[in-house]
Amino acid sequence: MTDLLDIRGLTLGFRGLNGYTEVLHGIDLSIARGERVALVGESGSGKSVTARIILGLLQETRTARVAGRVNFDGRDISSMRARPRAALRGTDMSMIFQDPTSSLNPTFTIGRQFAEVMRRREAGLSQKACEARATAMLEEVSIPDPARVLSAYPFQLSGGMNQRVMIAMALVNNPKLLLADEPGTALDVSVQAQTLTLMQDLVARHNTAVLLISHNLGVVREFADRVYVIYRGRIVETGPTAAIFDRPGHAYTRALMAAVPRITGAGLPEVPEVSDDFLAPMVTHPEAT
Amino acid sequence: MALLSVENLSKTFQTPRGAVHAVRDVSFAVARGECLAVVGESGSGKTTIANMILGILAPTQGAIRFDDHALPSRRRPEHRQAIQLVQQNPLSSLNPKRSIGASVRLGLDTYGIGDRAGRWDRVAAALEEVGLPPEMRRRAPSALSGGQRQRVGIARALACEPELLVLDEPTSALDVLVQARVLRLLNDLRARKQLTYIFITHDLAVVRNVADRVAVFKAGELVELGETRQIFTAPAHPYTRGLIGAVPVVDAEELHLRNTLAGEN
Ligand SMILES: Nc1ncnc2c1ncn2[C@@H]1O[C@H](COP(=O)(O)OP(=O)(O)OP(=O)(O)O)[C@@H](O)[C@H]1O
Ligand SMILES: Nc1ncnc2c1ncn2[C@@H]1O[C@H](COP(=O)(O)OP(=O)(O)OP(=O)(O)O)[C@@H](O)[C@H]1O
Ligand SMILES: [Mg+2]
Ligand SMILES: [Mg+2]
Repeated sequence: MTDLLDIRGLTLGFRGLNGYTEVLHGIDLSIARGERVALVGESGSGKSVTARIILGLLQETRTARVAGRVNFDGRDISSMRARPRAALRGTDMSMIFQDPTSSLNPTFTIGRQFAEVMRRREAGLSQKACEARATAMLEEVSIPDPARVLSAYPFQLSGGMNQRVMIAMALVNNPKLLLADEPGTALDVSVQAQTLTLMQDLVARHNTAVLLISHNLGVVREFADRVYVIYRGRIVETGPTAAIFDRPGHAYTRALMAAVPRITGAGLPEVPEVSDDFLAPMVTHPEAT
Repeated sequence: MALLSVENLSKTFQTPRGAVHAVRDVSFAVARGECLAVVGESGSGKTTIANMILGILAPTQGAIRFDDHALPSRRRPEHRQAIQLVQQNPLSSLNPKRSIGASVRLGLDTYGIGDRAGRWDRVAAALEEVGLPPEMRRRAPSALSGGQRQRVGIARALACEPELLVLDEPTSALDVLVQARVLRLLNDLRARKQLTYIFITHDLAVVRNVADRVAVFKAGELVELGETRQIFTAPAHPYTRGLIGAVPVVDAEELHLRNTLAGEN
């Protein structure tokens, strides 16, 4: 069976005041159905823009130039028309954005936004059915008082509550692919653990594939089957999670691992100088069999 | 002597569905030069406390003292300059219509820091300290990555030359290499300028390595307050033990510590 997502030779650049800057320099990345894949790496290296290309959002941005192939579920996203591409968002693929306020509308209640999302899949869904399903979903992400949250506006909720709301919204339509950009940063560790378990369950039950973008390598280690490490718009290392953590092969990956702060408290890690080795060719670990 | 102390602080929000007791009778003090970490479950009132310290929200009850004076609910400019915030949400805290440089510069103009001619260079220097190139001054917030925006928030607060910095999840959007650099920078500045930090975060591994003391919150209440080392080796409250027992870790030594603490529950 072919992969659910298959990206080949993806490049991206922006036209700006200082001319054209290339941000992605030829990315290959694939995700099988039901697979959990993590994309980790430098801040500003191109993780979020990759997710936005998969969603077909950057193709619609005037200053962006996207090239390369992005196959999703047997179709090429980049050559699709805007309408059918938009119809995939929130149904077959959904995204948890890094910034909760950028995807929650401040002027609508959470309940109303939930209904909108569910009606993208099933246009005729009744108010009552929406409420029932939203309540169940909020309970799944450990929101203690779903009724209060459904009638609240985003500003009346804490950062972590907004993030859980987004996770619940992203999962409510049973997508084939979930793009999760830093889904846990505003969550306390126990809720984070619960959320990961929930996402793990969902993957197993509905064969949902996940692209997890995270700076938390502990979370990545516990969640992902496979990892891609990105540095300055290039994939520098890829392989099964255990291989990446046990035998990091690329200089950048090794530097990352060394910089993780430990709860055993050895002090802040030494920061290695940015080295030319970070630009060394990609390291590929063989697939575990 | 304490630089900041909060005394019996409470905050209740009235909503159509009834009262939300976000903060309940909380007292603690922070010494000059100290880094106090504030941790706890999501929705436990951490940001609400920060907003009261900043004067953005008025307490329902209780008092806040700074430098041995009770802070009025309408802050004077010198207080606003002395207590700066790095917000939890970098995107919503930056005006989308203003360039990054203009956002950072705003504080310098407001508080009259440096001479006018030199301010644009100060902005560049502030950005440089957090690892951002000077050309970013001209960009819009939407043209930055999450981690770049977060660093702008730190640069903007530091540029105002505060005494107390309230940091709400300041490094959660950074890769661990940049995070280590920013945390080192914060540590250096604290030592060099006698800065005081209230450091709100969910990242307990960061807390372990930067904080002098830790305050643990649950449902609006302060449930434990102690020296960092003691919190991580002998946490007293079951909630604290549970938190540390849930930290995702990367190496065997950490796993051992986590399991030992979790086993005591
Ligand atoms: N609209 C835009 N115009 C110009 N440059 C942009 C634009 N959007 C993003 N960039 C640049 O593209 C690069 C990649 O951004 P992206 O948001 O993908 O980073 P990231 O890997 O998600 O980083 P982080 O971990 O900090 O979120 C960054 O250097 C960013 O400044
Ligand atoms: N303006 C408001 N109106 C009504 N309720 C509010 C308002 N602001 C906050 N709350 C409520 O107060 C409680 C505490 O929120 P706060 O933002 O302080 O939590 P937090 O500890 O910062 O959480 P997180 O770690 O998720 O950011 C939550 O239950 C929240 O819903
Ligand atoms: Mg990003
Ligand atoms: Mg908060």
